[in-house]
Amino acid sequence: MSEYFQTVFDKFELRVRKGFYYTKDDLWVSVENGKVRVGVSDYLQKTSGDVAFIEIAKPGSTVEKGREFGTIESAKTTVALLSPVSGKVDETNGELAGKPELVNSDPYGKGWLVVITARNFEDDRTSMLSDEDYYKLMLEKLQSERGKLESR
Amino acid sequence: MTDSQEKKVGIISCSGEECVEGTISRVATRLVLGKLRPDQTVTICLPLFLAGGREEREFARDYLTITVDGCDKMCAKIATERYSGKPASSILVTDITKNSQCPKLSSRRKLNDETLTIARKIADKIAEEVDKVLKH
Amino acid sequence: MNMNTSGQKKVIVIPCSGIGKAFGSISRDATYEVTENLRRDTTQTICLALLVSGDKKSLQLVRNNKCITVDGCPLQCAEKNVKLAGGNLADSLRVVDAYKENRQLKPRSVTFLDPDGQQMALALAGKIAKKVDDLLEEH
Repeated sequence: MSEYFQTVFDKFELRVRKGFYYTKDDLWVSVENGKVRVGVSDYLQKTSGDVAFIEIAKPGSTVEKGREFGTIESAKTTVALLSPVSGKVDETNGELAGKPELVNSDPYGKGWLVVITARNFEDDRTSMLSDEDYYKLMLEKLQSERGKLESR
Repeated sequence: MTDSQEKKVGIISCSGEECVEGTISRVATRLVLGKLRPDQTVTICLPLFLAGGREEREFARDYLTITVDGCDKMCAKIATERYSGKPASSILVTDITKNSQCPKLSSRRKLNDETLTIARKIADKIAEEVDKVLKH
Repeated sequence: MNMNTSGQKKVIVIPCSGIGKAFGSISRDATYEVTENLRRDTTQTICLALLVSGDKKSLQLVRNNKCITVDGCPLQCAEKNVKLAGGNLADSLRVVDAYKENRQLKPRSVTFLDPDGQQMALALAGKIAKKVDDLLEEH
């Protein structure tokens, strides 16, 4: 069985990793040993273009659910990253400074952004989407925002 | 596969750095993608296709393709046949320009009025071919 | 190395010319700026696709001369294809490196470069020209 839900739109293959939670702003959330690891979805990395700059709140910083904790920037756009949880930043992905393209090439793996210790994950989780619900949302977005995938 | 995905054609243009016809080929393809047939076409990036790009090769294998080449070396056509399959249609820019005095010393970097007009003619021809292949 | 008519050596500059992104167009334009303007006597370009189709003249050129590839995205197709063809790859540049030094530029247009795209191409061309000079000095 595949690890992903996937679809093809034009020539682009878009995947949603199973077993993660998602936000409506296209971030994924994975729960690991009481902490949450956060990254961008395949849809977000594809529509953002080749990421050249990443800014993320430093370890030790407090983040609030729904508030900006960082940005990813390409020549095409700058995307504000809104925290899916309230809590404290534990760790940021040090590899991204030298290789921001990891966000594009491996969004669900080596392109992870940050690990956060959430104050109350169960509360925050109520507004997240399941993998299947995010996949459906992504399909809707593809229909209405197709111009973002390829410059026409 | 959705209905809308079925009605798509991949356009593969040569990269053609060495001659103005290569630039014409590229611009004509982009005009089709952006203006003339935006919902029916997908562009396949030839360098990525050659380097083994999975999405490019799978699309070209599973869907109809039209190749657009600037010269008779036919790099886009040859690559498509080699890595994915015979294109539904192939356009050679010099076939179309030979009767209309293609300017020999035109810049390959930036199209002038004359070469841009040729690019638009090629784009119209590509669009016609898109309509033809989708009808069958 | 290839010699031009005055007996001077040449470097082959090969862009990816990726058609789907503005950076692909910038790689192409920067290459032209170098080969037609900044270093017209000491550089030339070739069609990347000819290497893969096995064109003998192009293969000989990249194997017998130092090459610089110019890629528009991290997939680095020009670099990969030149390596696969057995080319003498002396250096590889990426458009994103010019972007990182010119963050205020936001090229959007792919078909015809907009002013930001043209400026980024010029900035990149300067970097390529410097690399060409370095390579020629080594001889």
